[in-house]
Amino acid sequence: MNEKYGIQIQNLRKEFGSKVAVNDININIKEGQLFSMLGVNGAGKTTTIRMLMGLSKPTSGDALVMGHSILTELSAVKQISNFSPQETSVAPNLTVRENLEFFAKIYGADKEKASKLVEEMIEKFSLQEVEKSKAKTLSGGWQRKLSIAMALISSPKVLFLDEPTLGLDVLARRELWSIIEKLKGNMTIVLTTHYMEEAEQLSDEIAIMVNGEIKAHGTLEEMKRITGKDNLEDAFVSIAEGSGKTEV
Amino acid sequence: MRSIEFSKRTTKEILRDPLSYIFCLGFPIIMLIIMTAVDRSIPKEAQMKIFKIQSLAPGMAIFGLTFVMLFTCIQLSKDRTTAFLTRLYASPMKSVDFIVGYTLPSVVLALLQITITYVCSFIVAAITGGDLKFVNVLLSVTCLLPSVLLYIGFGLLFGALLNDKAAPGICSIIITLSCMIGGIWMDVDLMGGGIKSFSHSLPFYHGVKAVRMAVSGDMGDASRSLLITLAYATVIYILAIVVMQGKMKKDVR
Repeated sequence: MNEKYGIQIQNLRKEFGSKVAVNDININIKEGQLFSMLGVNGAGKTTTIRMLMGLSKPTSGDALVMGHSILTELSAVKQISNFSPQETSVAPNLTVRENLEFFAKIYGADKEKASKLVEEMIEKFSLQEVEKSKAKTLSGGWQRKLSIAMALISSPKVLFLDEPTLGLDVLARRELWSIIEKLKGNMTIVLTTHYMEEAEQLSDEIAIMVNGEIKAHGTLEEMKRITGKDNLEDAFVSIAEGSGKTEV
Repeated sequence: MRSIEFSKRTTKEILRDPLSYIFCLGFPIIMLIIMTAVDRSIPKEAQMKIFKIQSLAPGMAIFGLTFVMLFTCIQLSKDRTTAFLTRLYASPMKSVDFIVGYTLPSVVLALLQITITYVCSFIVAAITGGDLKFVNVLLSVTCLLPSVLLYIGFGLLFGALLNDKAAPGICSIIITLSCMIGGIWMDVDLMGGGIKSFSHSLPFYHGVKAVRMAVSGDMGDASRSLLITLAYATVIYILAIVVMQGKMKKDVR
């Protein structure tokens, strides 16, 4: 059976001077999957997703996002993907509604369609009580919800979530998990996180990056099986501290 | 389309910052009132013309533009230091959308500021019996356009080069240069020597001079001053675009 891939990474490499941030990685992410990239700080996760979004040029290699090359078809890649960065990234003096409308329009929606999409997002993310509030007045949790809603308003086929729950309290984090959970199957999602619990809860597949290389790639159960550990955190530590590549 | 949407967003960001009103609109108006009061306390024998409404109004219009520069600069540098711009780089927006999106709101703000400054100047002229002709003022708005481009260019240039902490400091140097050697607050031609030559070599003096000549109804050699200001403005604005595009490319490396 032919499997459809949302993302195909082919020998992707990124060097910053003499430092190799991403070292010729190869990975296929199935369409509709939620794929988590784990790794310690500086492992190369963010650099990898920055290359996939066209925010950083690969030194060599390529990647296909829904079949479009990040080297030669970047405009198409940008049109079908969206992302929510780990830092607060909303227009502070615009209201929640205006932020959503602005993002809908820069991805090509006309006034009527943008208005419809905004309503959908407000409904989906339960933003009704803050829709007229300026983004800068929102709590961290609300801002993160808005940020993800802004990423979803373009109906992306591929969504990149860079540490989406960083710095949130446990309730806000659980609420976002529930939102992300509902997105699974509708689009390919690439998630980077430091929270093992988050990756356990949400991921279809997981990759562990160490020093710019993919050290392990597979499902949660496969990660636990190959390391002989009974939770992802122990499996992660085992892989991150071990040497050599662990094929699953 | 995208550039217009981005312009709308930038306009809202600037207009919803209360400091925009205080500095871009409030401050020049307050200075207009204060300087008019100063003028009234200066003995006629002193023959000080710089604080007469005919000189003061054009000076205030340029003074307001220096704050448009400041806000253009702060907006761009603030966007650059947050993840918001990075997020937009990942969107289908092109570099021209960013350039138009930052320039257009500043032009609108500048025209709004010029209009309010002149409306207030007419009120002051009516109260003090000053001589301010509508036709001349209208002509002076045209003469202000090179300065609009110049100060927006400076705002974009510093906003692209500096972070939001350093940018206001550098802008304040341009504000001071405009006020002092640009001749907004003092008659540079009376000073002579090195200061005069230095002042004449920069665009600020010429920008103020051309607008003052238009308001006075005596265009004289205003066209020379206008051309000098326009030449500087074009160079600074193009430099700002080149630097902005360079920064965008550097961010995506």
